[in-house]
Amino acid sequence: MFAFLVRRLLSLIPVLALVLVIVFSLVRMIPGDPAITLLGPGATDSQIAALRAQLNLDEPALLQLWHYVAGLAQGDLGVSLKSGQPVLSEILLRLPATLEISIAAVLVAILVGTPIGVLSATRPNSGFDHGVRILSLTGVSMPAFLLALLLQLIFATWLGWLPVSGRMSSYLFVDNVTGFALIDGWLSGEEGAVRSALLHMILPVTVLAAFLAATLGRFVRATMLETLGEDYVRTARAKGLSRREVIYGHALRTSLLPAITVVGLKFAEMLGGAILTETIFSWPGIGRFMFEAIRNRDYPVIQGATLVFALLFMLTSLLVDILYAVLDPRVRRKMR
Amino acid sequence: MTELIHFLRRNTLAMVGAGILGALLLAVLVGPLLVQSPTAIDMGAKLLPPGPGHWLGTDSFGRDMLSRLVHGGRYTLAIGIVVVGIAFVIGVFFGVLAGFAGGWLDTVIMRIVDAMLSFPALVLAIALAAAFGPSLENAMIAVAITMAPQFARVARSQALAVSSRLYVDAAHALGLPQRRILLRYVLVNAIGPLLVQASLNVGSAILQTASLGFLGLGAQPPMPEWGADVSANLAFARSSPWTALGPGFAILLAVLSFNLIGDALADWFNPRRRSQIG
Repeated sequence: MFAFLVRRLLSLIPVLALVLVIVFSLVRMIPGDPAITLLGPGATDSQIAALRAQLNLDEPALLQLWHYVAGLAQGDLGVSLKSGQPVLSEILLRLPATLEISIAAVLVAILVGTPIGVLSATRPNSGFDHGVRILSLTGVSMPAFLLALLLQLIFATWLGWLPVSGRMSSYLFVDNVTGFALIDGWLSGEEGAVRSALLHMILPVTVLAAFLAATLGRFVRATMLETLGEDYVRTARAKGLSRREVIYGHALRTSLLPAITVVGLKFAEMLGGAILTETIFSWPGIGRFMFEAIRNRDYPVIQGATLVFALLFMLTSLLVDILYAVLDPRVRRKMR
Repeated sequence: MTELIHFLRRNTLAMVGAGILGALLLAVLVGPLLVQSPTAIDMGAKLLPPGPGHWLGTDSFGRDMLSRLVHGGRYTLAIGIVVVGIAFVIGVFFGVLAGFAGGWLDTVIMRIVDAMLSFPALVLAIALAAAFGPSLENAMIAVAITMAPQFARVARSQALAVSSRLYVDAAHALGLPQRRILLRYVLVNAIGPLLVQASLNVGSAILQTASLGFLGLGAQPPMPEWGADVSANLAFARSSPWTALGPGFAILLAVLSFNLIGDALADWFNPRRRSQIG
């Protein structure tokens, strides 16, 4: 297992290096002089010169890359053109908000998507199966901003059951200790804080979870259908095991392993979807921060947020691989 | 081919997808001849609810939403196909090259592919589109670049599988030029799974380009692109929901139709699932 871990970590190095080159190149892809484009038409010569110096644009490309990587090693992701604050601290401030709804969405998606996929596969071509397929295809085809808007209109504007946007009711004063509204609300002891945080989370979490639940449901259905046709499942049936034992004791276990990969990869993709969801629900996470940076052409922030999203993606893939190896002895043996 | 059409015909969901796509195509081809200009402003008729004269209502500039939808549909359907076309050409070129050449070239190409796949697709598309500058063309290029590595992966694995076949060895033994072997034998025999990938990707190309439009990085006003229209009308969505919901549902229908067809094609190319379903 240790050798597997070391090999997996070593394999990350070239990919990480290339990821850094791609993120570094982003500013250099801006047509014309990036400093002039970023500062806009009203910029003075001294402002342009200062930004060129800040971004090391006057140096040869390789030296620029070296400065960039050396800065990253010290936690320097640049400075926001809008706020003048270090990008890293701005991102870290908002990371818990994004993680809070993303993790909740993964849990909801697993709890909803898995049973739906299993039920669908055990009744192929039934009315239920067709209904689930249409619903899950609609889920993966639905633009996040449309679902968000619909839920806002129905549950917030028309029914008035849930808050339209934000993270906590404005009359509550909750200190930012961990950055997670639920935990901070609980720590504050303020009456109604946890409830308020939960109510605010429902709509954004539903939007994020819908895509993942739909994808997971489709995937579990497909792998279950394949597994149910395998020889060992037929053997289990021939042995006289009940339908329930065959499905839950044999087929489901095998089908769920590849589903871990899907959850991992789609979780990372969902982080991208957070940009749209957070924007519509005014959720103060990295996604909304990135959206504001796009509006302000605050390129160091876009660059920094892109890198953080990529690192989260790579970390998730790594965790999925480790989990996979822990759960599947065949993978472990192969990795030895 | 006849067998495939027969299979699709018996697949209810594929037929629903084809029906929706057919209706959308008809609307975007014939519709523009029957409606007014999508950019005609009429401040006296702003935010009118759906009704006679304006069947889908009007937006905050008094522009007819039906007209914007049928004109915008031309962009959206073209976007899906063009983006996937660009991604297909770039991805398949590098994927087949990597799989067929092997060695250091394979390693370099696949590491770049791995690195690009290490970004959430929408995040990379946003970062690229923001760098290129906001416009529909740039958004399409950004989405195509983000999508190309998926094609490269599939193309490489197909090329590897096909390259070890006897008929490719025979072509080598006959002294056929590399380019001919690549095109005539490797690519042609690897095309099935690539077409499935392409059909599944049209929907997500539309979705991602619309998302970029929604974020202000795609089509610019007054172009009637659906994603940009949802974003432009968001401020009025609570009081006049038809302004944002119309283009939003249009995107959903377009993406859904391609996904329904793509899903059926994926079943067709997977023999085990084909036998279970067919």
